[in-house]
Amino acid sequence: MVQSATPTPARPGIAPSPKGRTFPNGNPELGYNPSGVRNTDSAIPLHRSKPVIHDYACEGPAPGNLGFRWTYGSNVAAKNRDPRVQVVQYNEDSFVLRQNVCVHWEAPFTYLLFGNTGALLIDSGATARGDHYPLRETVDAIITRWAQARGRSRIPLTVALTSGEDVAQNQGLVQFAGRRDTVIVPRPLEVMKRFYGLGKSWPSDTGKIDLGDRVIDVIPTPGTHKDGVSFYDPYCDFLFTGDLLFPGKINIGNDRDFIASLERLKAFAAAHPVKWLLGGHVEMMFVPGKYYPRFANYKPYERVLEMAPELIDEAIQYAREVQGRDMMLIRPDFALFNGVSPDQRTQAWPAGVPKINPPHPF
Amino acid sequence: MDRRTFLSYNAAAAAIPLSGGMLAGLADTASAAARPVAVDFKSDLPAKGSFPKKWICGSSSCMDNEDPAIQVHWYNPHTAILRQNKAYSYEAPFAPLYFGNDRVLLLDEGYVQLRNDYDLRGVVDQCIEDWCARNGRDPSSMELLVAFSHLHDDHYAATNQFADRPNTRYMGLTHEEMVGFWGMTKFPEERVTLDLGGRDILIWGSPGHVVSEFAYYDSYTQILYTGDMFYRGRCYISFWEPWFDSMKRLIDFCDTHPVTHVMGCHVEISRDGEDYAYGMTWQPDEAPVEMTVQQLREAFAFAQTITKPGIYFTGTVFLCNQTRSMTTIDKNPYRYS
Repeated sequence: MVQSATPTPARPGIAPSPKGRTFPNGNPELGYNPSGVRNTDSAIPLHRSKPVIHDYACEGPAPGNLGFRWTYGSNVAAKNRDPRVQVVQYNEDSFVLRQNVCVHWEAPFTYLLFGNTGALLIDSGATARGDHYPLRETVDAIITRWAQARGRSRIPLTVALTSGEDVAQNQGLVQFAGRRDTVIVPRPLEVMKRFYGLGKSWPSDTGKIDLGDRVIDVIPTPGTHKDGVSFYDPYCDFLFTGDLLFPGKINIGNDRDFIASLERLKAFAAAHPVKWLLGGHVEMMFVPGKYYPRFANYKPYERVLEMAPELIDEAIQYAREVQGRDMMLIRPDFALFNGVSPDQRTQAWPAGVPKINPPHPF
Repeated sequence: MDRRTFLSYNAAAAAIPLSGGMLAGLADTASAAARPVAVDFKSDLPAKGSFPKKWICGSSSCMDNEDPAIQVHWYNPHTAILRQNKAYSYEAPFAPLYFGNDRVLLLDEGYVQLRNDYDLRGVVDQCIEDWCARNGRDPSSMELLVAFSHLHDDHYAATNQFADRPNTRYMGLTHEEMVGFWGMTKFPEERVTLDLGGRDILIWGSPGHVVSEFAYYDSYTQILYTGDMFYRGRCYISFWEPWFDSMKRLIDFCDTHPVTHVMGCHVEISRDGEDYAYGMTWQPDEAPVEMTVQQLREAFAFAQTITKPGIYFTGTVFLCNQTRSMTTIDKNPYRYS
């Protein structure tokens, strides 16, 4: 029968319908599933014969996006009912997790990366209690599902921290104690150096974490924390910079180390393709140079998480300005605090940056 | 039915045929007669009362906080002290509710505006109902005065919840309206007396933290409520001279009047003097809200030695002399050399 949108009564070779009408919007007398059409609703075969080997070598960064807005807490923190762990899948093998702002104001980001022979969890959140912050449960669920999709039965997990001493990132570690097939990067600085094979060459050399065709580089970056490291993912071309460089209030622990680490990052970014820098938190607002105060449970005007790699140069330039001086300095995408209280305020406003006051809810 | 009602009942029945309205009038007369004797707020002073050993003070995870939005503590049967939950606002101010025979005084409101987020109105109404039930009053006959210690939004944010409440007067949000609310013509020296119905509240100006601030003294419990100008935490002193004069006024008052407790609006310090930084929503070991007159005197003695802006610890409170309001004494714990 004819389903043509235009009436063509006299076209040769096509029989007119019995009642002489056409069906511009489809013929309801035809079945919805004509015979011979195959249902192709799933890309994943139901029964795999062997595990999928994914090819992590690709030209340019692996495709992906952060397509969701981050949960941002609520005016009355006690009434927040958002997920405790927000999971955003960047691509099939990379996940970004965020702690709910109303569970802990630091609302750290945690990254879960998969390779052909293992998974890596970068950072572990600011809350130890599993009922308040079910990181382990969430990670287990993601891994189980991913393993099913890839036809794997066990996936060894490595848990590494951008800083072992940072209480905004190391608290969730206890949830992984005793987990099967799990390696937790040991914490005191000296032991950690040896784990990464940097016992003698810290901080100039880089270490490696091999996930199976996806080898994560470990770059020593002390500066905000004595034991700070950054991670580089050659698949997505991300640099995970933790507390060293993130869109927020960067509390410098040691300004010489801070600049040296940024220089090291710059050299690394020059030698490797970098799409984004992903830090451990967001504290800036989406208007330039404004940030949320500490302990804020409601951040409706947050800046996005991702930073362009050019920001390293800007950070170096302004880190030199605060070096050796107890002061804070505001830039559009971050603020540097050197030797002052984390609540320090300043009247100095960066030249050429519009000063916009976002609304203040209460 | 007492003798008086009995007599008038007969007279009324004789004069006018009994109608619905007449019956209602009789019921009024009867309830007026059943009204108990007024509460005596003038003898046996100071009225006994107690503060809780520990206030509800937030939780490590705000969204898991299951405490009520407002903690109600009855200091004594005629005095309630309300406190906002830290998981509703980090400011978590205290709010005394003083009952008299004719009216009720609410001081300060908390830092959430909307009633569906934070039902201050419901809690205050409940307190008034409870008190009236205990004392045999009709809640609608009690006038409510909604006032605040000073002109900062964490103290007046919830005022609008009372906008449609009958028999209620609330303070306006300008200096002129505040001063006019208490009928003052000579701020801050003038001391006025508010009569809640047998219970006197003495009120005078106490600028320094902000210009528009009052001190409230309740003659029944003899609690001196000093607002944000002197409280157990970081007293942000915006204007040193007026603040110092206000402290002098408080000391002079304590010299001439009995004071049981000095009470501020917030607590931002632990029992052992550790500072809870600005914005914290969990204060597991917080200090009591009430202070002694001795502590006030010590702080004043300390203040007399201060000549420069800066943050000073008097042993009871931090005096943040003209440091910008959010500066704390916190340091970056991850500094290393």
